[in-house]
Amino acid sequence: MATSTPVQNWNLAPSAPVDRRERFRRRRRAADLLVSISWISASAAVALYLAYGGAGQFGTVGAAVTSIGIVAGLIGTDLILIMLVLAARIPVLDRVFGQDRLMATHRALGKPAVYLILGHALLLTVGYGITAGLNPIAQTVSLLQLPDMPLAYIGTGLLLAVVVTSLVAVRRKFSYEIWHVVHLLSYAAVLTALPHQLSVGGMLANGTFQRVYWIALYVVALGAIATFRVVEPIVKSLQHGVRVAGVELVAPGVASIHLSGRKLTSLGSDGGQFFVWRFWTLKTWWHSHPISLSAVPTDSAARITVRALGDGSTRLGRLPRGTRVSIEGPYGLFTDAARTSPKLAIVAAGIGVTPVRALLEHSRIAPGEATILLRASSEDETYLWDEMHALANQRGARLYTSIGRRPRNAQTWLAASDAARSVHLRSIFPDLAISDLYVCGPQAWTDLVVAEARANGLPAHQIHTERFDW
Amino acid sequence: MRTRAVLGSVFGSIAVLIIGWQAGAAALTSNQSALSTGLSTSGTTTGSSTTGSSASGTPSPAATPSSGSTTASPKSSTTSKSYTGQSVNTQFGSVQVRISVTGGKLTDVTPLHLTDFGGRSVQISNYAVPILRKEVLSAQSSHVNSVGGATYTSEAYLSSLQSALDTAGITS
Repeated sequence: MATSTPVQNWNLAPSAPVDRRERFRRRRRAADLLVSISWISASAAVALYLAYGGAGQFGTVGAAVTSIGIVAGLIGTDLILIMLVLAARIPVLDRVFGQDRLMATHRALGKPAVYLILGHALLLTVGYGITAGLNPIAQTVSLLQLPDMPLAYIGTGLLLAVVVTSLVAVRRKFSYEIWHVVHLLSYAAVLTALPHQLSVGGMLANGTFQRVYWIALYVVALGAIATFRVVEPIVKSLQHGVRVAGVELVAPGVASIHLSGRKLTSLGSDGGQFFVWRFWTLKTWWHSHPISLSAVPTDSAARITVRALGDGSTRLGRLPRGTRVSIEGPYGLFTDAARTSPKLAIVAAGIGVTPVRALLEHSRIAPGEATILLRASSEDETYLWDEMHALANQRGARLYTSIGRRPRNAQTWLAASDAARSVHLRSIFPDLAISDLYVCGPQAWTDLVVAEARANGLPAHQIHTERFDW
Repeated sequence: MRTRAVLGSVFGSIAVLIIGWQAGAAALTSNQSALSTGLSTSGTTTGSSTTGSSASGTPSPAATPSSGSTTASPKSSTTSKSYTGQSVNTQFGSVQVRISVTGGKLTDVTPLHLTDFGGRSVQISNYAVPILRKEVLSAQSSHVNSVGGATYTSEAYLSSLQSALDTAGITS
């Protein structure tokens, strides 16, 4: 604990009477409803087959294998469509779950979906083979002669490529860009798989309600992607005309990018949210960056602060003035809107200070309501701390700092010197139990903070994290 | 996942599955032809045609016109009459067709039931039947080639057709 700013009682207006519990209950109701709908959609896929008379199709071994294969394909496809919806950055889903949770679920569904689709292909080949008295290879040859089946095989291959390149171990071997290009193939996989679903097998035959429902699912999923990942970003980018107004070096390897634009407040971003930015220079246009605002935007100016981590962000420090910027967002639940409790506890490490800075600036907090701990490995990494001190002073927030490397061989998220003095989460935040804890920093570090908070009995809905290792 | 979400998912899923099950059971017990393919839509509309098994050879005066195209014609020779062929069993399900005859000529073949054992049989039926229908109508007989990859369906289709042709008294 190096410093502590004195608490000053400024004559701020009392915070607006927001019923945080009620807002939280509403959000949780929506979350429960959406989770239920997702599961029910998987059951509905099975129900489609039952409605077709599938329950009567288990009489022989061949028919039973075939039926299980059909059901696997239906559930697998339903999961893939859910994955598309999760990745579509739909504003209402973002407000209820937050992008990080949506993407975590998206990743978690990848493997089950691909297993189901592969199972679908194998089971049907075997099942048809048993019924027709063909071996699986002869059966595959015969299946390939059906219309739309070659496309379906291509789709399966694409899907496999997408999921394999996304496995943690494999993904590290590829750059983000290659992974991203392969990932775009998932749209091709989804589309090439559709014709055989509609033509092979009578279940989704012309004129059935199953066909109507199934096509509607595709329209919803692909429509969400088209709307929120293509059309809306283009419209917003053109509307707001964001350009680079200047780049300011904050510390070695860290730069604040000042942006200009039109009517930026109408984007409705909350402090702590991020946008996905794309800078249109020859060297940077192909890479988009999810970066938090490091200050609350005015109508004509916004600011982000980046640290050079990947190839792309290194070049961001050299962006020329006037560079066009396209935007997607705002996203994220690392905001005042997610609060559930009367007190506010903030922990940020390194460049993770940026969303915290905007969060603090945007929040209406009473003096004494917020306590902040800033972490840095060395004095060089105290980015924006001067601004944090000023803000904390102005808002009557307590601010602590912990500078220094973490001790080796010890599971602590604090500097070695502080850990040695047995400083811990509760000693920094005595009101932890009635606080919302906001944590932003590298993933492994964040996990340690969250683990200690959970060990202290803090419920999950009082913990808010933003991953920040890009 | 929260308790309420779990309960919502479980009960919602059960409800949806029961609805699907019931719809399936209803489909199974009702007219089998409605289940088999989308091609059989016209097969359930006629109620007054003679059947191959009754073999009376005297078409009902109220015989359904073929796809409504001949209703305007007052001549009896152009009135469409329909005859139902015998149901032929295969290991992939039974096949039965109904023919429409106008003025002694075969004008249409409507499948009442097709091989439907598993999704693929249905697919094969959907693929083979339009080909068979076209060939049969141009040959005016059941003496046409089987469709490749759909041998069972083709042969059952052609023999049900032949029984209907016999009933109608059409010889090739």
